[in-house]
Amino acid sequence: MTRVAFFPGCLIPARHPPMEFAIRYCMRNLGVELVDLEGASCCPDPIYFKSKDKLSWLAVAARNLTLAEDLGLDVVTNCSGCTATLSESYHLLQDEQLRAKVNERLARIGREYRGTSRVRHIVAFVRDEVGYETIRESLVTPLDGLKIAIHYGCHLLKPSKIMQVDDPNNPSVLEKLVSALGAVPVRHRNWYLCCGKACQIGDIPTNMMHGLLGTVNDEQADILCMICPTCFGQFDHGQLKVMKQFDEEAYTPPIYYFQLLAFAQGVPYEELGIERHRLKPECLRRFTSVAAEERKVSTDGAYQEP
Amino acid sequence: MASGSCTNGDPVRVDFRFRRELAEKIEGNLASFCYQCGACVGDCPATTYGATFNPRELMLKVLYGLSDELMVTDSILWQCANCYNCHERCPQEVKPVEVIISMKNMLADRGIYPDAVRKVIETFEQTGRTTPLSPAVDRQRAKYGLSPLPPVPMEEIQKLIEPASIEGDEA
Ligand code: SF4
Ligand code: SF4
Repeated sequence: MTRVAFFPGCLIPARHPPMEFAIRYCMRNLGVELVDLEGASCCPDPIYFKSKDKLSWLAVAARNLTLAEDLGLDVVTNCSGCTATLSESYHLLQDEQLRAKVNERLARIGREYRGTSRVRHIVAFVRDEVGYETIRESLVTPLDGLKIAIHYGCHLLKPSKIMQVDDPNNPSVLEKLVSALGAVPVRHRNWYLCCGKACQIGDIPTNMMHGLLGTVNDEQADILCMICPTCFGQFDHGQLKVMKQFDEEAYTPPIYYFQLLAFAQGVPYEELGIERHRLKPECLRRFTSVAAEERKVSTDGAYQEP
Repeated sequence: MASGSCTNGDPVRVDFRFRRELAEKIEGNLASFCYQCGACVGDCPATTYGATFNPRELMLKVLYGLSDELMVTDSILWQCANCYNCHERCPQEVKPVEVIISMKNMLADRGIYPDAVRKVIETFEQTGRTTPLSPAVDRQRAKYGLSPLPPVPMEEIQKLIEPASIEGDEA
């Protein structure tokens, strides 16, 4: 089994436990052992705390990375925000002066950053270390013919020199991950647009979302798939808000990629945590298979090892 | 539009104190390499969907050190969506978004940032997380077979985010 340090961040564990459940479930099925990092904090977030003081932000990020260094493992992140912070910190800390400055801070708590653990977004990790074929082999309910619009979000791809995930002008990793489920990926015209969550003033975020959703809905996909929990929030309750504000009826229900994979690996629709979505991907119900129903669920709702 | 004192014809006095303060911030000094080509503007969503925001103009204001236009409550800086398109596009590796964040650090030094931002920062400084723990969160997690979230060792975080001490570390 491949072992990696798992950095789930704040948003997924606290606000979207079903996403974390899906990741742990899927990774186990794909032969990856996720090792939890004891004592980890917020990455810290690349929008708010970074706006207060970059040096403190970097010092806290470096501390999180040292937890993985202690275990001799690379870090896998599941949130594009965490990936932005930790990848950028790894990159910035290659500068000797800055590293010395940060290590002075870390010395206050008896730690030292060495730069020995790489940071990888779970999407890149799955592509490179697991492979699309292994995903295909893990499926119980292939999503044949399901039309899936894709949203990459910003921090998976950019800045590309730092993130090193995919071509920022023509990425393919999400298309391929979706195809591995048997589904048909579609790229909407505004695929590169930001979800707008980080913008703090005025109508800009709403206008951005409106522009984005227009081209998503044009594709008439069954669902919209993404890999960032912040984008997900924008596409769920954010989409509802935009629909109300612009008095529009068309929508595309969003889902986080690993919940989709968990479904295709046999977790029944009712157990995916969809009841918490404002816009529900009911179209998935047509795939409910005998295999999925036979799967055993323990009394507290947790899954037994397959 | 929105050029303020950049282009009104009067001679501009460069505010070097502002520039020096910005240069103290990580990657704050990168605006010095800006040659005003505008490559950062085309893919900037805050430019496309807002009325006045323009990263090239912001870099020009930085070069002049127009602190009065930038270091204000509800500064235009908060319109940036942090999408990193400008970082990707700039041929000079100015990283306009990083210069903008460095200026937000200067706003924070002056104690002026939007309430929504302040709230998240405070949550992080008090709990070590941006999304706080609660019994309801742990109940949700248990429903999915996930263990309760452990508290963050806050003594360590607080020591790390304290400014440089008088003993002179980070001198
Ligand atoms: S792309 Fe770079 S050099 Fe060109 S205007 Fe923008 S910041 Fe300046
Ligand atoms: S990071 Fe900010 S300034 Fe740069 S392109 Fe995005 S919105 Fe515009």
